[in-house]
Amino acid sequence: MKTYEVPSDIALANNLEEKLELLKHIGRSFSVFRIDCGSCNGCEIEIFAAITPLWDPERFGFKLVANPRHADILLCTGPVTRQMYYPLLRAYEATPDPKIVVALGACGSTGGIFYDAYSVLSGIDKIIPVDVYIPGCPPHPASIIYGLTTALGVMDQRLQKVSFEEEGEMPSLVETSVMGNTLFERDLLVQAKRLMSYVFGRKLYDKYLDALVKSGDIKNPKATKISITQAMQAEDDPRYAECMGILHNEIYTHYVPCEEEDHISLHRVQWGPK
Amino acid sequence: MMKLLDISKKYGDTTHKYPFEPYNVAKNFRGKPAYTFDLCIGCAACGIACPSNAITVQFNDDKSKLVWEFDCGRCIFCGRCDEVCPTGAIRLSEEFELAVKFDKSALIQRGELEVQYCTQCQKPFSAKRLIKYSFECLSKANVSEKRLEEAKEYLGVCPTCKKQATVANFTSGKEMVIE
Repeated sequence: MKTYEVPSDIALANNLEEKLELLKHIGRSFSVFRIDCGSCNGCEIEIFAAITPLWDPERFGFKLVANPRHADILLCTGPVTRQMYYPLLRAYEATPDPKIVVALGACGSTGGIFYDAYSVLSGIDKIIPVDVYIPGCPPHPASIIYGLTTALGVMDQRLQKVSFEEEGEMPSLVETSVMGNTLFERDLLVQAKRLMSYVFGRKLYDKYLDALVKSGDIKNPKATKISITQAMQAEDDPRYAECMGILHNEIYTHYVPCEEEDHISLHRVQWGPK
Repeated sequence: MMKLLDISKKYGDTTHKYPFEPYNVAKNFRGKPAYTFDLCIGCAACGIACPSNAITVQFNDDKSKLVWEFDCGRCIFCGRCDEVCPTGAIRLSEEFELAVKFDKSALIQRGELEVQYCTQCQKPFSAKRLIKYSFECLSKANVSEKRLEEAKEYLGVCPTCKKQATVANFTSGKEMVIE
């Protein structure tokens, strides 16, 4: 598909000096026209969250307007579907020069998750020149406000291109197993993540291993059972307590020969806040 | 009217002071994935897990380096890279101030890893660090000395050569002993 070429008069009126001049003039009063180019509405919800009194962007003059002819800034969201191609161009041409175009969200900046879909042009910058990119899926209201204040020059850009080219010495990445077999740790982490997802699973894994080490004799199922039961009783969060018991019954018993009575009966242990 | 004033007096000023004061995000906020180059082994698990292909792991043009590249503009902050990373090289941070002006390349993070050449066909096939990491894992996993020596050899062989060697071994008619 042949994409849009910016007419020479618009391009001339929108060069960098003109834009910086505009930014100097609009100072603390700017009108934003929001155009939805096939977004999933996540970004819209965050824009409206950002203009609530909780964030109150009118402190620095942010105002949404209903007509591109009144706008200084075009806030574009979405990966630009084929249906929104011409409406986007009409809005762009209708906005008085010089104008600032902001691409909001992952879809607006690069096409996001739809970048290679057949029905989208993936990204506002494929069609019209974009000045500010605000990534996020959707961006946090604070990110939106940060992006707009960056555009105005109130705040500085934090992100810079980072490129590592020389490898340093590789640190030792595999920890020594408490059991003498790293497969135990591997299975434990996999099961912990399956039970409680990756964020809490890692915490569960740490808590369980701590309790196991505290028992003193890791290969003795009697000692570890007492230690884990104590840890479960001391745990405030019932999710961690129950999952520690499940981990012990499912993983530990595979690696250490256990009798039936060495399993923890989950319904007999009292846990949770006292 | 007076009631309204009472209510606003009760709740006070709830507007965040954000651009003028730092804003603290909620606990477990999923911000920009932070990349620690020293821990990265180039296993490409994050590249495979990434649903929007914001992370790509591929050889550069002359195949002298394995390039890990992250485009923050395409990232949807799902945290799957964090979930699969075996060494903790990529972790979601609380960074939310991600906007960039004019130049999109500021959104990119990249790391170049040294490549491992196959000991048989001399073609690059993986990152040196991944081979080192795999060997380290094996050496701590209760494997016998003899198996470790074997592992040292076959870790440096690319999948294609390994496949051919296996086929040649199977069809040679020799008797195999599995210990």
